[in-house]
Amino acid sequence: MGIITSAGIVVKLVLMLLLSFSVVSWGIILFKFFQVQRANGDSERFMDFFWKSKRFDAIASQVDRFANSPLTVLFNEGYKELKIVVETDSKSDGSALSTDLGGVENVSRALRRATNSEITRLEKYLTFLATTGSTSPFIGLFGTVWGIMTAFEGIGKTGSASLAVVAPGIAEALIATAIGLVAAIPAVMAYNHFQHKIRVLINEMDSFTTEFLNIVQRNIAGK
Amino acid sequence: MISRNPPIDTGMSVSFIASAVIHLAVFLLLVWWGQLFPPQMTIQETYYVDVVNLPTPNPQSGSSAQKPGKPGAEVSQPAPAPLMTAPPPSRTSLKTITKEVKQTPPPALAETEAGFNERMAKLERRAEARHEEAALEKMRKTVKNSGSPKIGVPGAGGAEAGSRYTDYIKSRLEDALKETISYSTKDPYVAVLLTIAADGTLSRIRIVQSSGDATFELAVRRAIDLAKEKFTAPPNRTAYENGFIFKPKGISKSSSR
Repeated sequence: MGIITSAGIVVKLVLMLLLSFSVVSWGIILFKFFQVQRANGDSERFMDFFWKSKRFDAIASQVDRFANSPLTVLFNEGYKELKIVVETDSKSDGSALSTDLGGVENVSRALRRATNSEITRLEKYLTFLATTGSTSPFIGLFGTVWGIMTAFEGIGKTGSASLAVVAPGIAEALIATAIGLVAAIPAVMAYNHFQHKIRVLINEMDSFTTEFLNIVQRNIAGK
Repeated sequence: MISRNPPIDTGMSVSFIASAVIHLAVFLLLVWWGQLFPPQMTIQETYYVDVVNLPTPNPQSGSSAQKPGKPGAEVSQPAPAPLMTAPPPSRTSLKTITKEVKQTPPPALAETEAGFNERMAKLERRAEARHEEAALEKMRKTVKNSGSPKIGVPGAGGAEAGSRYTDYIKSRLEDALKETISYSTKDPYVAVLLTIAADGTLSRIRIVQSSGDATFELAVRRAIDLAKEKFTAPPNRTAYENGFIFKPKGISKSSSR
């Protein structure tokens, strides 16, 4: 620990900055980990329930059980829009969606909007992980360069260049790069992992949207 | 239209707190690990060799290598020791040596082997004379201090238990510091409070005051580590505590309990 306490003020500031980056990025990693885990689990269970149920209103009444799944948001939005379309058509001529496929377009738009909103929610805070992963090594490197500059200045003043004089200064400086890497490596790994998991969820949302629209269209065509 | 509230974001603060706790735990673990296993640094000894001092059978040849055809007695002669006047290999002494060496006039190009031998013999004689003088001076000092009341802890009168022990510890520390000394500021000093248990093991080291020179602090720590192997049990089998001030010129006693 003496290696940190004996470092210069700039190196200490760099270390503090990197430490705060690390704390925040680990906070995001933990948060995202649980968020993605819950979203995956709830989506799986929701899809099982969705295919087992035969009526949309039955699903809508149970949808709160899967609150963490992004698919439930899509279903809610699609179902809400569908109800509006059905009510509007019933009021207009009473023939209830017999040939009007414009209603399906409305549902499709509502689902697309909900998908975008869910993608934004899932990708929230991930940019900080990317920033930490890409900038922390450079911030650490800055601390190291500064520390080595200061160490060489001290060596120049004392006029001695023995290993015992040079080594502690360089060791103090290199700690900044080490901490920078310690902050960056988990951030980059977590960013790539969550990107992959979110891409899988986006694919699931696209598939669900297609299935939902197919069901709606089949029902409209059947009437 | 999207009615979803983001209830999960409330978990963000919990995650941050958990992250801070994890970092604190890692930090404490590192501190604990550092105390449990202090880093053992192996220091490579660095020797300064001045080529001007190397004996050559013939200075004109410009090489200290022995000629194969001439196994002369002058080649096996030792290096001119008189130039190495300062006993400890400290930085200041090295500077002095370099200066002295630079001030010696270069050997004449036309110098013969006989001349060289004569010069070597003269240097040897001078070295012996200096050694004798130094030994005599040391003996004189020993005789002078043997009855002095200033030996030991100040005010202890030199006869009290512990005063000789303090000198013994100081001497061990001085010897060790000569081996480990290195510093990066002009006048570094470190005041250390040493506690030696009744069985002679070093139980506690506390840096009371320091000039802030990390290199010198490290050298002092290494010196204490080196010296503690030679510590003996304190007199009367009681725990011993004393302060020592380390400076590049040596060690002085600061307080005694």
